[in-house]
Amino acid sequence: MEKNIVIIALFAALIAALGLVPKFTLASGIPITAQSMGIMLCGTVLGSRRGAQAVLLFLLLVAIGLPLLAGGRGGLGVFGTPWAGFLFGFPFAAFAAGLIMERWRSDNIPLVAGCAAAIGGIAALYAVAVPYYMVAVSAGLDQALVTAMLPFMPGDILKAILAGYITAGLAKARPDSLLSRA
Amino acid sequence: MAKSGHLILNGITLDLTTSRIGFVGRNGSGKSSLARVVCGLIKPDQGQVLVDEIDVYKDRRRALSKIGILFQNPDHQIIFPTVFEEVSFGLIQQGHNKDTVRHLVADALARFGKADWTNRSVSALSQGQRHLVCLMSVLAMQPSVIVLDEPFTGLDRPITRQLTQMLSDIPQTLLHISHDLNSLRDYDRVIWLERGTIQLDGTPQTVLPAYCAAMDALGGQDAFADIPG
Amino acid sequence: MLSLISPVKSPYHKVPPGPKFFLLMVASILLFLNGNLYFQASALVVVLGLYLVPGMAFFTAGLRMLWPLWPFVVIVFLWHTLTFDIVSGLVIIMRMFSAVALANLVTMTSQLDDVIALVTRVATPFRRFGLKPKVLALLIALFIRFLPVLIEKGNLLVESWRSRSTRRAGWRVVVPLALLALDDAEMVAEALRARGGLEPDEV
Repeated sequence: MEKNIVIIALFAALIAALGLVPKFTLASGIPITAQSMGIMLCGTVLGSRRGAQAVLLFLLLVAIGLPLLAGGRGGLGVFGTPWAGFLFGFPFAAFAAGLIMERWRSDNIPLVAGCAAAIGGIAALYAVAVPYYMVAVSAGLDQALVTAMLPFMPGDILKAILAGYITAGLAKARPDSLLSRA
Repeated sequence: MAKSGHLILNGITLDLTTSRIGFVGRNGSGKSSLARVVCGLIKPDQGQVLVDEIDVYKDRRRALSKIGILFQNPDHQIIFPTVFEEVSFGLIQQGHNKDTVRHLVADALARFGKADWTNRSVSALSQGQRHLVCLMSVLAMQPSVIVLDEPFTGLDRPITRQLTQMLSDIPQTLLHISHDLNSLRDYDRVIWLERGTIQLDGTPQTVLPAYCAAMDALGGQDAFADIPG
Repeated sequence: MLSLISPVKSPYHKVPPGPKFFLLMVASILLFLNGNLYFQASALVVVLGLYLVPGMAFFTAGLRMLWPLWPFVVIVFLWHTLTFDIVSGLVIIMRMFSAVALANLVTMTSQLDDVIALVTRVATPFRRFGLKPKVLALLIALFIRFLPVLIEKGNLLVESWRSRSTRRAGWRVVVPLALLALDDAEMVAEALRARGGLEPDEV
């Protein structure tokens, strides 16, 4: 039990750390960082339930005022933008990614994790973020796709692939570290 | 050099020409920052660091072959899962092709008699062995100077002695930051850093006893009161 | 630990977080229900007025916190100009600024401890869904304790990379960092258990 609590807290901290450590920013105007990759990793490493819980903890801490989002942003204000749908979608992304890791029992970890990260971190995430954007901005689907999805897609696909490799790297270094496959 | 509003290193001018130089000082005296400025990781606000005429901050490409650094904790330093990948990383970054890299890695490992470590997983190695991997990774790049930022912290005596012995044999210039004053006794020069400035600079015979005396005196008072923060 | 609370004292600082959050909720709902240009313009003026009350320092700090919204403004503006729908573009932008500025106001004037206390209090009715307030408090405490540690280790790994490469640190650095997180989790869980762990009824 303690292990669960601790690992959830630590992975929530990992999501934050990935946004705060200046590592790499993929180009394309709006700075994209490794943070959303952290969301995918919560799912692929911790599994659906714990992954989602770690992400929820992270969002809670952002909401209460800690500057944890990439760029030092935080507080309730970030939930007020039309892009807040991404934040609300994060737990679903982790959950979906975790679910796929748990159910698809192939040994090809980079492939499974990469797909899990893509389906969770992209499909599931945008399934929440895009409709939210449409409502917040009274936009049609076309506008939403162009302004809320297109700019981020290349970066997100790359991140999903990398999340696959990272998960595989973890599995190789510490085989029982993948709680999603426990 | 300043950080979060206050000066970490102030007015340091050094001309280091001997091959074994030690650095001592309390925690918070700026030793680690100095290490990073010297190997080109941090930009000095004023002045520059030249190793063999190369500005190590501005010309990172050439600096890689001039100066390397060994940090305290191998777990915060080793990036790759296998010994080969870790040791070859710097070599690849230096621009060598695949075959050359393989040879250089083999040489680096063989030098310490660890040719069989090539495909070993880092997680399977002990702490002391990991320290050695870090050392080999730096040495493989064949720098002229190596900065050692308290690299033997937490290791037991036999391993420390072994690694110290290995270090004494290598031809590079060593800039060694250490709390283990014994390891600096045979050095050519010792520099005592206090609150970002040079307190004393001379032979180990001159500096070490003075440093010890000062530290003992502090320990006699409330040592915690002095911690800068 | 860095927080977003403003050091400039304002009358809002003294108000407990509960009422502030509630008012924020109400205001946000009102903002999003109304699409009228004049309503949004007046609302924005009111919000800016709220920021002016504690003085210029507070006002400028608040404006600075709104700066990250600029890409959104550009995108919305471009789209709505290209589709000749400037009015609704303005409504969206103004509403966004009002909503975010109000939310930031609450964040800037609420002490972290008070907010955490509020959160754990509000979480109490959710016990039946498996969320125990004590567990929540522990989660928050562990997070705050370990975030600086992970950042430090991340920085060290990046330094290790940069000392051997001219390129920016790549994704490979995430693997050892995640491993460190897992190992830390192992050790902390052990330490927790050694200190009695969580009581059975809290598990």
